Amino acid sequence: MACPSQPQIGADGALEQELAALIVDTLHLEVLPENIDPSAALFGEGLGLDSIDMLEIALLVSKRYGVELRSENKAALASLRALAIHIGQHRIR
Amino acid sequence: MRLLVLITLWVGRPVARGLLYPICSYFLVFSGGAQRTSRDYLRRILNRPPSWTDVFRHFHAFASTIHDRVYLLSGRHRYFDIHTEGASALHAILAQNRGCILLGSHLGSFEVLRAQGIFDHKLPITVIMHEAAASNLNAVLHNLRPEIRDRIIPPGTADTMLAVKERLDRGEIVGILGDRLFNDEKGMACEFLGQTRMFPEGPFLLAALLQVPIVLFFGLYQGGRQYHLYFEPLADSIPVNGARRSETLRPWIERYVGRLEHYCRLSPYNWFNFYEGPDHARHSHPAV
Repeated sequence: MACPSQPQIGADGALEQELAALIVDTLHLEVLPENIDPSAALFGEGLGLDSIDMLEIALLVSKRYGVELRSENKAALASLRALAIHIGQHRIR
Repeated sequence: MRLLVLITLWVGRPVARGLLYPICSYFLVFSGGAQRTSRDYLRRILNRPPSWTDVFRHFHAFASTIHDRVYLLSGRHRYFDIHTEGASALHAILAQNRGCILLGSHLGSFEVLRAQGIFDHKLPITVIMHEAAASNLNAVLHNLRPEIRDRIIPPGTADTMLAVKERLDRGEIVGILGDRLFNDEKGMACEFLGQTRMFPEGPFLLAALLQVPIVLFFGLYQGGRQYHLYFEPLADSIPVNGARRSETLRPWIERYVGRLEHYCRLSPYNWFNFYEGPDHARHSHPAV
């Protein structure tokens, strides 16, 4: 479906894929994890998630990686890639 | 608009209320859509064909609550005669330092409670609403008393629910109106006054995910300067398992809809959903 863009410096492809699988599973999305473009928007137009979906992602990230996403970390919720980079920097597990 | 608000505050409520009669009469004659919606609703709630006076009374109740926001949100809420029932349900939860979702509706008005929360510091309450909803009245009112702005979370952004969670984690109250869908929000079809109407699942899913209780709230305008506030516990904890499947949430949503009907019968002229299209209850500008 989507054509993944070129990996950027700081991007962690493996973590992105792991996150994609977790998100698809938790939110019961009808898309294959590998088809999610890591640079596409998670919220709204891109993957079509709403703000409750974003909350579920935050709960999932907290449980799995020990990273608390707060409303001031909004930038980390922009895309799969932004989220993976944020987790990479702050994870405690 | 700002000048209008200042004049309203200066002349005082009884004088300014006199203006509501010509304004309502104007709408009675020229607002086709709102009037049709009003008639359709009144027919179902009153069980008889509504008269012109019924529609006028409906419009007048709506205009009164909008007008009263000027006084309420400028800190003059003590002028009103406010009767409260069932608040112990809310205080019991707050006493345990638990947050809670206060689920309201467009039946009556949230504003008396908001005013008490903001100016009396009685209740730590934040509401989810559009800052510049429908008119710029909000913008003017919020500038009169800037502390109001800190008590609003705008809906439909990536971090809306994160902000909600932060308030709830601090043991605060978050007010949500549960009878209209935001844009393309997911809804559930329920029987309401003999018709099918869409109700949002969001507040119930939110309560399940965060394991917070839901308390119902209705702030009904009783004419004159009287408001009656009602609180009722709705759910202490909604099971999170399977919350993603709508049918798990159905009993809770139906319970809300049932209580909404009950309070509609109690104060029929307080139903302030005037812009119902064929796609019931789906709006791009939710709160007035």
